[in-house]
Amino acid sequence: MRDHAKGGALTEVTFYILLSLYSPKHGYAVMQFIEEKTEGRLSLGAGTLYGALNTLQEKGWITPCGDSEGRKKQYIITELGKEIAEKELVRLDELISVAGEIIRGGAV
Amino acid sequence: MNKKYYRFFGGFLSVQENWLNQMSKKGYRLVHTGKMFYEFEECEPGQVKYCVEFIGQKSKSQAKDYHDFLEDMGYNVFYKNINLNASIGKVRWRPWAEKGGRIATNATTFNQELLIVEKEEDGKPFELHTSYEDQEIYYKNLRNPWLLLLLMFAIFTVTNHSAIWGILTLIFLIPVLLYQMQIQKAKQEAKTKEW
Repeated sequence: MRDHAKGGALTEVTFYILLSLYSPKHGYAVMQFIEEKTEGRLSLGAGTLYGALNTLQEKGWITPCGDSEGRKKQYIITELGKEIAEKELVRLDELISVAGEIIRGGAV
Repeated sequence: MNKKYYRFFGGFLSVQENWLNQMSKKGYRLVHTGKMFYEFEECEPGQVKYCVEFIGQKSKSQAKDYHDFLEDMGYNVFYKNINLNASIGKVRWRPWAEKGGRIATNATTFNQELLIVEKEEDGKPFELHTSYEDQEIYYKNLRNPWLLLLLMFAIFTVTNHSAIWGILTLIFLIPVLLYQMQIQKAKQEAKTKEW
């Protein structure tokens, strides 16, 4: 995953993983969340998801959490992660309004 | 009745993967693997699908972490060797693993360089690496051991002025080029698309 420092665009996979982790989830639940929300359009390979979760954890955008019972590792988004996700939302709002003006020829 | 087979696929991961998927189509799923040994039990034809994944660049704990993650995703996962080695207690240095190389011993991923991942058929395609960026990383991990062999044999060829080394060098060039093509393809796609 490339470095998304200040104001950089997130990949769709990154953004969806962050969104899924506003409540704690393990890997399988993240994958299901993304498939459900995109109605199967975005289907993540387990290897890709694994790599992405590790990268986001290294960046401190998500963190392992929770109960020691069961060995399934759960993750949750951090404050830094939320900040990144909020910035991304603002960026996408802008992108959508520009695209709407040009493609649909009017305000969205 | 369980079926037992002796097969050796070496570095031909996709051949092994195809063979396992063919076995599943015939109604046999994997229950046990040994060095060259595969044991199958009967199942519904096409009930399961297989992916063969190279993990030789990972440390023991990384490999276990990945193995457990895949099991948590609901897959059955088998460790598999990529080479045939009869020895015990051998130590290998793997300079192609990330960050300055890795020492591989029987206590690490030595003889467990591959994972065979089994998924119950659910009508969806079974791919472990779906984003172009991740595919690029994966194919690099596959290419690097071959690249190292290629470079070593190229050096032997030059220092020994020997045709035999030269021929071996050319043989190692084949997998390097094949994986390099996959890497380039993923890179090219990644310029405009994420997956």
